[in-house]
Amino acid sequence: MAMLISGTVPIKDLPLTLGEARFEGESLSLNDFKIPCTQGTAALISAALATTDYLKIDPPQVLLVGDNGEGRGSRLLYEYIIKNIPDLLPDVLVLHYCLPDMALMRRLCESVERCSKRPIMIADASSMYAAKAAGLATKFDIFTPDATEIAFLADPDATHPAYISRHLFDTDVTRTPELVDVAYKLKSAAKLLLVKGEIDYVVKDGKIIDTITEPNIPALEAIGGTGDTITGLVAAFAYAELELHEAAIIAARANRMAGKFALATPGTKVWQIISQFPAVFKEYLCEWSGVCYVAAQS
Amino acid sequence: MLFRRKKKPPFEGGGLLLFEKVEEAIKAEKVLKGADYVVKLVAPPPSLRKGCDLAVEINLVEQMGIERLFRQKDVAYLEVVPLKGGGELLEMVKITNFNNATMVKAGNMKVTFDRNTGIILNASGGGCPDIPYLHTQLIDKKLTEAPRPKEIGFTLCALMMDRAFEECLELWRKGGN
Repeated sequence: MAMLISGTVPIKDLPLTLGEARFEGESLSLNDFKIPCTQGTAALISAALATTDYLKIDPPQVLLVGDNGEGRGSRLLYEYIIKNIPDLLPDVLVLHYCLPDMALMRRLCESVERCSKRPIMIADASSMYAAKAAGLATKFDIFTPDATEIAFLADPDATHPAYISRHLFDTDVTRTPELVDVAYKLKSAAKLLLVKGEIDYVVKDGKIIDTITEPNIPALEAIGGTGDTITGLVAAFAYAELELHEAAIIAARANRMAGKFALATPGTKVWQIISQFPAVFKEYLCEWSGVCYVAAQS
Repeated sequence: MLFRRKKKPPFEGGGLLLFEKVEEAIKAEKVLKGADYVVKLVAPPPSLRKGCDLAVEINLVEQMGIERLFRQKDVAYLEVVPLKGGGELLEMVKITNFNNATMVKAGNMKVTFDRNTGIILNASGGGCPDIPYLHTQLIDKKLTEAPRPKEIGFTLCALMMDRAFEECLELWRKGGN
């Protein structure tokens, strides 16, 4: 299997479903279900789809289930991955929205160890929370935290960002390198971090290798789902076999540029940002990646 | 060995419910299991012990939904504490102003409203499964008419969203700034 993206969506009666989704602007379609393309895994999948479509590579397989927060869908999701991941054998595995559960995340990571070829492991949102809380962060290749979440990774005790120490929350963006350093010392970070914020930091094995600051679109922070789109972009570029740090750098740049193209305001919806990715790729991907010819898939 | 007992999967919840009396803890466990929560009766560590010497371990992330269920089912408890750390929820907020909008950040959650109309423009941050649902329920509604995240959410992310929402409401009632 190519790339597998898993997560919960706010359609309570959506059964656990494995398949291909389609981006349709304000919604994402999966079989007969229309999933609103808002904050969450729908935004992540839509961004990944925009990228794989543009690059003419296989679209992601998605494993989705309805869960409005009660956790039943999340537990089904964990159990399915635990049981089936050695057979699904994705090249890239993205774990996203779900009820964080440390014991289930531990079993999931043990199951991944049984894969004949280890996938590139990417976690964001509460899957990242569960991985950190269970002491499993180093099993992952990429985390994509925001400013509060890097403080969470740097807190030795917190199992959720709501319980991070006040002094860690009350920091500005200039302290991010310090928090990154602490997170790596605590083994609470993945091999590569893309820390999203006013300044995006790309960190490899504890060392900041790049920062992205332009274009500066402050409204992006207010738009629900613009962190999720970055994770979708990173995953798709990683699946396209860019080096992981290159995937992260291009994802951060593309997200900012899509915000500029969309003339983003705090009221902009994330699907309006996603709709700009093809134009951004057309104009900048060659310059950013050095890959200027997209071959049709054989 | 001929007979091997199947080991139950371990439970790592990260949070404890503390009680004054043992019978309250037993009732709480029954109510929670009846509502499909995964929980476990445990002895609280001495450093966290208050009241009786029986506690219920919960998935800390589910704190808000559990406390609401206890109010509905009239279950008495002393408090919820994380198994590690200082044990205090983040209370502070940060405020950012845009041209006609204000964004309030509480913990990992952000809520943004239009200062002229009081309409919720966006919500961002977080990662728990109720957040995309809350997003669809709140966006484009007036702060004074939207449902409170603490009434329809279940998780700590929703609790932080409610903290941001509450601050937005207060700012709006004071005149939008």
